[in-house]
Formats: sequence, C-alpha cells, structure tokens
Amino acid sequence: MGAKRVLLIAGGTIGGLGAVLSITPPQFGTASSGGLGGTLLGGGSTTTTTTPAPATTTTPAPTATTAAPAPAATATKKATTTTPAPAATTAAPAPAKAKPSGTFTGSTSQTRFGPVQVQITLVNGKITAANALQYPNNDFRSQQISQQAIPYLVQETLAANSADIQGVGGASYTSQGWYDSLVSALAKAGM
Amino acid sequence: MTLARVRAEIHTWGTVIFIDASSGKISEPQIQSAIDGVRDFLYEVDEVFSTYKENSQVSRLRRGEIAITDCTPDLQEVWALCAHAKEVTDGSFDPWCVEGGFDPSGYVKGWASDRAITMLKAAGVEHIQINSAGDLSLAGGVEPGKPWSIGIRHPEEAHTIVKVFDITDGAIATSGTYERGAHIKDPHTGMIAIGARSATVYGPDGGIADALATALIVAGKDGAYLFQKPELAGYHCWVIERHSDEAWSI
Repeated sequence: MGAKRVLLIAGGTIGGLGAVLSITPPQFGTASSGGLGGTLLGGGSTTTTTTPAPATTTTPAPTATTAAPAPAATATKKATTTTPAPAATTAAPAPAKAKPSGTFTGSTSQTRFGPVQVQITLVNGKITAANALQYPNNDFRSQQISQQAIPYLVQETLAANSADIQGVGGASYTSQGWYDSLVSALAKAGM
Repeated sequence: MTLARVRAEIHTWGTVIFIDASSGKISEPQIQSAIDGVRDFLYEVDEVFSTYKENSQVSRLRRGEIAITDCTPDLQEVWALCAHAKEVTDGSFDPWCVEGGFDPSGYVKGWASDRAITMLKAAGVEHIQINSAGDLSLAGGVEPGKPWSIGIRHPEEAHTIVKVFDITDGAIATSGTYERGAHIKDPHTGMIAIGARSATVYGPDGGIADALATALIVAGKDGAYLFQKPELAGYHCWVIERHSDEAWSI
C-alpha cells in the first residue's frame, strides 16, 4: 500500500464522520510524547490531524462534501479533525507507475459474527468508495453491530487509506474481518 | 528494491490472525512456505492452549487431570512466563485467578505472535506483521526505513481509529472491555475490573505487552508505577480513562 494517499470525502454520508488520526505518534522506543495528560477525543489539545491532502486535486469539489452532520452521538465525541480535502481527486497527472483503477472485491473473511466481504472502487490507486457485499446479519446483536458498523467501516477505510495504516490494534472481530477483506481487495488490485 | 510480499489470514483461536510478510531476500513461494509453518504452529497452539476445547492440555490441566510437568514444553514455558508476568505486574495480571483455573489466554496471543515472528525471520522474511485480532507483533517495519503504522480503535466505536503508533520492531497489545464485554476480573478483589476503558501497551515482548494491557484495565492509573520497574523499561502505554474521554500515557 505504498504511496501516501489522500483522504477522500466521497459524499455526504461520509463527510461528517471524522476519524481522529495522529500522524506524529511517539516513535517506538523513544521517550514518550508528553507523559501523563493529553485528552482523547476532546478537541483541541490532541496531536490529531489527518494527513493534509496534497494539492494535486484540481477537479472542483461537488457541493455536498462535508456538509452532512455526523450523528449527534458521534459528533460530540470525536475531535473531527477531518481534512477538508476536496471531494474529487482524479485529476492528478499520470503517475510514473500505472496505478490501478476499477472495482475490486476482497475475499470473504469469516468473523465470529459471520462473513464480511468488502468491495472497493479505486481511481488511480486511491480508494473512492468502499462497501460491504456481505456482513453479519443473522442475529440481533450482529444486526446492531452491522448497522452501526458499515458507515464507520466505510469511513475507516477512507481514513486508513489516507493515513496509510497497515494494521488495527484492539480490533473487533468484524472490523478485523473488514480490514482483512480490504487488504485482499487491495492485493487483487495490485497494490 | 522490490519486495516479495505475501498476506495471509489464518482462522483459529475463534478469531482471525492476519499475517503480512515481505522480503527482499526470498521469493513469494518461500515466504508462503514459511507462513504454512506458522499456520501449523498456530493450529497446534489452539489444540494445546484452548480453554474452549475440552481435551486441550490447558483444559485437562484446569480439571486437574494432568500436572504442569506432564504438559508440552511450550505450555510449561508459557506457565513460567505467566508466573513472571504476574510478578512484574504485582498480581494485576494473574492467570491463576480465573474461574475454572489457570487460563493463559491473556498471554498466549502475544507469545504465539512473537514465536511466529521468530519462525518467519529464521526463514528469511524481513518485514512482518502478525495481527492476532488486534494484538500485534511486528518486525522490520513495513519496508526498509518505514515503520508499521498501527491504528488503535476507539473503545466503543469499533471502526474509528483514535491513535496511530509507528513501530518498527516490537509488540503492541490493546485490551478493553469492548471485545467480550466486561470480562476481566481484578485478581485482588474478584470484581469486574474498572481501571480503564482501553489500555494499549507497546514494547519488545508480545506476551508481556498483552499481560500489561490486561493489568492496566484492572489497575488503571494505579498501575502506572509498574512502568518504573527496571524490567519494564522498554514498555510504554496509552490508556483511555474509565469515565472520561481522556487518555494518559507513559
């Protein structure tokens, strides 16, 4: 998943859900940054910003970018440091190495709650959409999880794409399944 | 330099273990073959250590049918390492203080992931991620000169990332009340642990990181002093408070 990627705001449903991402985490084995203290999700004082979008985006953004309010329960809890990236990003100059475009389907990942399968759309190597072809829905708990999970999963995929994360710690069964299927889809795309 | 890279999912321990392995020295088929060896090892770990399998050695040990000296060298090793982990956490991590008897589950994931790293390294794999349902062991960075970037999930919102750590070599374990509900008991009181909502520990050893993360869920900030111990000098933590959206770190 090599090159640094751009956070894409793919539409209204995603725009308001900001992930809190740190791009300057403490390096492993070095002194900690700040010791005790620092707030989580509280807003200002965290070192949390998403990767700024490089200025390679020339297509004007559709109007519906970050306007959609996040559900109240999440909006108040997250420091929504979403990068106000333009929504369209396909106008980058032709890269030296061909970057894949198209729709790619990940393998089905079995989780404790059922199968998870992800389909992604790539434009010049960037994820522009992610959705679940399969997700657990065979019992009430799974339905609850899935209904909440899918929007977040889409958002996480786009955010992770931006941050170039290679793994998720403390992952739940379904989010790990999502991530695994996503990785498989990216592998199929040759990334 | 182009790296040969193989990614694999292994379904065992009632969860998914994700392996990402690449090398500038050996080929994809050679990496795949090394991963096959790791898969066999992880299956064997499940057979020996599962508390859900009636005939596993751990289950028989718990029922008192066999003694620790009758068990495999791996189980004896984990038993000794758990004793060490109990000692360095001053009893906040205590696999003997579990309903039904000795339960090393809180240590085994990290231990087995570290062993998998050792196996893959021996085969010539240079860049390795073993992700056991959210507890990771890492080696060599994702590629030369670039650490692994590992996102930590939000304690309640499973699909939101709240923090990213860049780690080249080592282990990172996150414990919380989210995965199986409130399931960690305070060995000192027998009550459900209430020290923290989420505890992430990173350091050289996966088993110790795993145990420390569990210990911090139990002890919360009261466990911060543990990190002053000389034997834990290489470990750090990032902990989300029980009743607020605040985090503290060492």
